[in-house]
Amino acid sequence: MSRSGKLGQASRLLRLPGVDQATQDHASILSSDRPVLEIRDLSIRLLLHRERTTSIREYAIRVLQRRRVERDQFWPLREVSFEVNGGDRLGIIGPNGAGKSTLLKVIAGIIPPSVGRVVVRGRIAPLIELGAGFDPYLTGRENVFLYGSLLGFPQKELERRFDRIVTFAEMEEFIDVPLMNYSVGMSARLGFAIATTVEPDLLLLDELFSVGDAAFQKKCEQRMESFKAKGVTILLVSHDMNLIRQTCSRTVFLQHGRIVAIGPTDEVVAEYQRFSASSPSGQRTRP
Amino acid sequence: MTKAFSSGSSVSPESVTPEPGIYLAEHCSSGPLLTLFRYRELLRQLVIREVKLRYKRSVLGFAWTVLNPLFAMAIFTMVFSRIFGDRPNYPLYVITALLGWNLFSLGTSRGLDSVVMNGPIIRKVFVPKVIFPVASVASQVVNFVFSLVPLFLFMVAIGVGFGRSLLWLPIPLLSLACFALGIALLLGTFNVFFRDVKYFYEAGVLAWFYATPIFYPPEIIPDTFKFLLYVNPMYALLESLRTPLYQGTAPRLDLLILGLGISVFTLLLGWAIFHRFEGRFIHYV
Repeated sequence: MSRSGKLGQASRLLRLPGVDQATQDHASILSSDRPVLEIRDLSIRLLLHRERTTSIREYAIRVLQRRRVERDQFWPLREVSFEVNGGDRLGIIGPNGAGKSTLLKVIAGIIPPSVGRVVVRGRIAPLIELGAGFDPYLTGRENVFLYGSLLGFPQKELERRFDRIVTFAEMEEFIDVPLMNYSVGMSARLGFAIATTVEPDLLLLDELFSVGDAAFQKKCEQRMESFKAKGVTILLVSHDMNLIRQTCSRTVFLQHGRIVAIGPTDEVVAEYQRFSASSPSGQRTRP
Repeated sequence: MTKAFSSGSSVSPESVTPEPGIYLAEHCSSGPLLTLFRYRELLRQLVIREVKLRYKRSVLGFAWTVLNPLFAMAIFTMVFSRIFGDRPNYPLYVITALLGWNLFSLGTSRGLDSVVMNGPIIRKVFVPKVIFPVASVASQVVNFVFSLVPLFLFMVAIGVGFGRSLLWLPIPLLSLACFALGIALLLGTFNVFFRDVKYFYEAGVLAWFYATPIFYPPEIIPDTFKFLLYVNPMYALLESLRTPLYQGTAPRLDLLILGLGISVFTLLLGWAIFHRFEGRFIHYV
């Protein structure tokens, strides 16, 4: 019974990415020593016969074949359990199709778990794809407010930080130009500036250190460093083992949606490299 | 939940086949109404975007919101004034219902497609999905309210005054918006799984338009088909919307209550169905 209460609380926390809430939560996070992220027995199940059935004819055909397709289950994540304490930096590694990005999406609340539970305490900054939700026909200025509200920032907070966002993204000249006239690098810069303008409790990073030119990458790294220094919890998905070693104290090695190893970065990275060396061709197979 | 888990050390959890019956979907388990309220800022931004972008790159811009129904009114008047011309102020008769119909047909057809259209956002950011149909319908309500201004000018110009009966207007307007949202949520849910729904609806809504007394008076319907009026919620809704504007009197109470009842029912049904399935949307958009 206490479990259902806890669940309700968890989903409430997850559904409140607003900054005002985050600051309230911040005190409670610091006062209690509970982990920022708790994942227990998490599994994601996809029924392949249900997926991408986008016309009724197709569906009818599949219903007729039901017995055959019913077995086509696919588990992008299976029996995943771990927790991350405040200030920890966790690396997530594994071959393509191991479920790394899916895991980040579950934590961000984008994909609901089929089994198990995920508890996040605090505000998440999902840097999974920068500028998702940018509208090409709106100006840079309008997009700051659209994307900002999509990430759950209150209007007043955005107004207050507007100048800082524009300065950081180096967009002063182009802020009133429609986004469709921006280059890819420019909109990525704007996206990064908005998403990281408020310090989150939990930062989800999916291989993104290729934003903008060298000078802007330097700025991004500085911002990441300052987050690290302030004790922001970071989850980093990457294939760059040097970056993982530099950034993360602990690392999870995923394969076929399961945790193969979790522990100190050096050990886990070594195990992953042994695995890659031994089965270079088996890397991309799915069960 | 008996399985203890450790962190910090290297563990390889032994697999236990999870029971597919246990579904603890954290992200779609708590009240959607509360979530919607917390995301009101996003709702506002989405409505602004829809209203703003509709006529972007057009010279007349926002004026089209007003001109569009005026043109339609002019055409209906030219075509049908011979037949229905005995009605006083036939153009006003047409446009008062036509504005309501536009709210409904645009709100539903955009609303039911809005989840799919915003797939790129849904795939990358957590956002309460119900916000997209709500924004589609809300922006049509905004357009309706804006087009009331020229409507009032038109009424003054043709010498029809308006009075206290206008105070009735919010009730049918709200009912109409609820009905449109209910339909958008209901069909929008199915549309995620079967994109055919959208095309069926496009054809269906045209038939619905002709089946509803908008440019013709309900009296011309033969007695044997009169029952259709009471099966069609749009008759009650548009008639209640039209009466305070066109006749300057209070709407018929039975129609007003019928419209409100059906709208609330449709909204609750649509909301429940949408909420029931929204957890699966991510795999289909």
